[in-house]
Amino acid sequence: MTEINETYKEKTSFNKRLVFLFVTFGILGAVFYYQIFNLQISNYSEYEIAAKNNKNEEISVQPLRGIIFDRNGEILVNNIPTFDLITKPFFIDDPDDFLLRLSSFLEIDEEDKRVFLSQFEKAKALNKELTLKQSISDEDKAKFLVRSHMFENAYVGKRYLRNYLYPKIFSHSIGYVGKPNEDELDEIYELKSLNKKINFTYTNQLIIGKTGLEYTYEDILTGEFGNNLREVDARGRTLGEKISSAPIIGNNLYTSLDLKSHQAAHKALNNRKGAVVAIDIKDGSIVTLFSSPTFPTNQLANGILQKDFDELLLSEEKPFFNRALKGRYPPASAIKPAIAMYGIEEGLIDWNFSIFDEGFFTLPEDGRIYRDWKEGGHGNTNLFKAITQSSNTYFFDLAYRSDINQLNKHLLSLGFGDKACIDCFEEDKAFVPEPSWKMNKHNFGWFKGDTVNMGVGQGYLVSTPVQLAKYAYIMANKGKFSDLSLKKDLVKSEKSIEFNKFSNDDWFKLHESMINVIEGNTGTARRLREKKNYIVAAKTGTAELVSGDNREQYSETRLDDNLRDHALIIAFGPMPNPRYAVSVVVENGESGGSVAGPVAISVLNSLIQE
Amino acid sequence: MRYLDFKRFSIYYDPYLIISITLLSILGLFFLYSASDGNASVLIKQSIFVFFGLILMIVLSQPDPQIYYSYSGFFLLISIILVFIAIFFGPEINGANRWISFGFVTLQPSELCKVFLPIFIASYLYGVNLPINLKNTFLTIFLIFVVFFIVSSQPDLGTAIVILLSGLYVLFLAGLSWTFIGSALAIFIISLPFLWNNFLEPFQRQRIATLFNPDLDPFGSAWNITQSKIAIGSGGILGKGFGEGTQSHLYFLPETETDFIFAVIAEEFGLVGLTILMSLYFFIFIRCFYLSINARDRFCRLVIGGLSLVFISTLFINIGMVIGLLPVVGMPLPLISQGGSSLISFYIAFGIIISMASHKKLVPR
Repeated sequence: MTEINETYKEKTSFNKRLVFLFVTFGILGAVFYYQIFNLQISNYSEYEIAAKNNKNEEISVQPLRGIIFDRNGEILVNNIPTFDLITKPFFIDDPDDFLLRLSSFLEIDEEDKRVFLSQFEKAKALNKELTLKQSISDEDKAKFLVRSHMFENAYVGKRYLRNYLYPKIFSHSIGYVGKPNEDELDEIYELKSLNKKINFTYTNQLIIGKTGLEYTYEDILTGEFGNNLREVDARGRTLGEKISSAPIIGNNLYTSLDLKSHQAAHKALNNRKGAVVAIDIKDGSIVTLFSSPTFPTNQLANGILQKDFDELLLSEEKPFFNRALKGRYPPASAIKPAIAMYGIEEGLIDWNFSIFDEGFFTLPEDGRIYRDWKEGGHGNTNLFKAITQSSNTYFFDLAYRSDINQLNKHLLSLGFGDKACIDCFEEDKAFVPEPSWKMNKHNFGWFKGDTVNMGVGQGYLVSTPVQLAKYAYIMANKGKFSDLSLKKDLVKSEKSIEFNKFSNDDWFKLHESMINVIEGNTGTARRLREKKNYIVAAKTGTAELVSGDNREQYSETRLDDNLRDHALIIAFGPMPNPRYAVSVVVENGESGGSVAGPVAISVLNSLIQE
Repeated sequence: MRYLDFKRFSIYYDPYLIISITLLSILGLFFLYSASDGNASVLIKQSIFVFFGLILMIVLSQPDPQIYYSYSGFFLLISIILVFIAIFFGPEINGANRWISFGFVTLQPSELCKVFLPIFIASYLYGVNLPINLKNTFLTIFLIFVVFFIVSSQPDLGTAIVILLSGLYVLFLAGLSWTFIGSALAIFIISLPFLWNNFLEPFQRQRIATLFNPDLDPFGSAWNITQSKIAIGSGGILGKGFGEGTQSHLYFLPETETDFIFAVIAEEFGLVGLTILMSLYFFIFIRCFYLSINARDRFCRLVIGGLSLVFISTLFINIGMVIGLLPVVGMPLPLISQGGSSLISFYIAFGIIISMASHKKLVPR
């Protein structure tokens, strides 16, 4: 046994030092305990939130989009379910083997397989779902479902597609939906005050209105976003999902559009380039807004092959161009009633005032000749005859005596040169030329000849089909009108054009002269008389794209289809109490009466003979 | 005269330590089960270690302290040789050579050094006169640093620091002169910048920097500490319940079975759970203090004091790191974290402590 070798001094020194160390640790322990107390009690709520934020990811869920109806309650656009084959890569060990087993009874495109394999690893790491095949057929769905016990790592998921029931008829008026781009996404985040972290699940891919009514009434159609809380781990893998607030389905949109009239317009135009706009005179609502040719909206909304899209985009027919709202056409002879109104209001003419039309008008200043469309002229011509037979010479003379600024003012009051519709998508203002504009643009002063040209709706004056329809509507309604609109039962204020001289009797006579365009034996659209069983007032027009000095020159010009005159007509009926006003433009259609006229009549028929 | 009475078989034990350590070990298994996400194989393996560790502890309590005195050099030598074997022949895991593989189990021999280095130093200083002269002081310090550098070259900074502390505790308790301590501290502080630049790896410097400013790198080196604090803080008073910790079970918290198990306990059992756990540790701490003061001789005093301070230091470094007061360094929560080597080394330490406390001094008849 070791000799005990210790002193009292050594023991006290040891004890003191041991106490020193233990007390040090005791103090340290108190500090630690204080820190733990701080974390768990004083700052508990802060850390509790942090832990919840860690594990919860907020996901916005888009509600089903509202349904779009026509004026009679016909569904034009709804949502239909489609079924996709969804995989859970997290539970798939061997993707090649998985595809092989699926391929034994399902046909899967090589492209789908390639996309699946390229995204597989990432989706597996994050435990995210991966769509293998979109919109599978009922047969494929059944084939999969009977074998679903063999595929716990895949399922058939339901998703809603925007379904355009009349895809070729409302392409321009209703438009289509699509995935938002970056800017549009930012806007949605801001507008709906959504969390930027939102993640749209495959079943509810975010869609927004891109054009037409889908765009204009996005707010109504889109509904209220819901929220799902997704529990994720530190690696971002999804562990579970629960609804924290359910989405509220979008409101339905009731439009003033009329299905039958669109079908009639589509059929009558038969894919020729042109546009039809019809207005309900009762409230100024648009019942027909049709541009031709059209494009397939379902494919655009739900997926179109790049090749097909490029073909549409590059087509010479320009199917995406909304001619009804953006096509700029000279109003041609259809402007004549407006010029007549101006002449009467200003006291330049009255219904008895007549000229002798020898087939041309000579500008006194320089002897320049302005030709009538009819060789030899219309002879003795008063206003009634000038409208019915569309005498150019009469209106050349009237325009010559007009003040261009006053005339412009009059045209502007009829809606030219401004947007006609309050909820149309990207409407063009078209153009009423002013002398100052010409000076700036062409560095050339306004000639008297320019005013003369405007008298027959040629020259610099251009209008859109929707403006022409509004103009027809104003005339039909004797100067009273509301702004045009597409949404049903929109509250609008009624406006009216103020006249001093132009009286109710003048309105009557103007209507009579326009009725005679069709009903009279010498009217320019008399061939339309038999196509209907009610009375219609109209004015035809033929917009010259190339001005020629005579008919012989035009025979050469018309060899090129694209340089042929545009045919147009404005009409309203049934008279004497008109209910609908319509405008039709057929590009390169040549004759307003015989080409645009029948289109207008079939649209009116569909509206009036319901 | 128990030790001479061969007819009577007696067992040497300390009921307070044995009960509290067993309780802590069982509680540890319970915590580990949740921390490992209910992994049965982890739990079974750990249970085997606990079971045999407790037996080993009782077994090691039986020999007279004299044995440990006589063989302390031998034990230390064996430990150091094993460390070398690990360095040169052991499997490389995560760029470190700390382990020796025995097929079914891998052990970390450096853990043994933190037990046998203080015992050897205690035995060496037992015979020297007070105050310890400079020669003995330097010899001891030289030995401590040799072992420190061997272990830190594995590399294993955490264990090396504990080994360094274990030696220094004994040296301090044995009566290192205050003058020496003062000058050593002064030199240490002056050379801190030098040490910082030359001895710390960039990642270690980063860990210390983020301790003072976690915003420096919230997703990098501060990630662990941030997540650990969230886990502890979100536990609140009562915790989220057994197996309900979102931070630990959703992988936000790293190393849940080992270094960060304290945060798991905090998240799932709250302040109440932590208070119970820390009371158990505190009880062991106080009992060791008592046993150390009342030990039969200087050797036993130094060993009990040194070993219990090793235990306490490990505990404090672990908790300090998890609650964000100390830089991140690999350090288990004693008797609870997963890992056989750490467990076994503490059972050995407590076995020796009990032996030293329960064998009374030989009194001449």
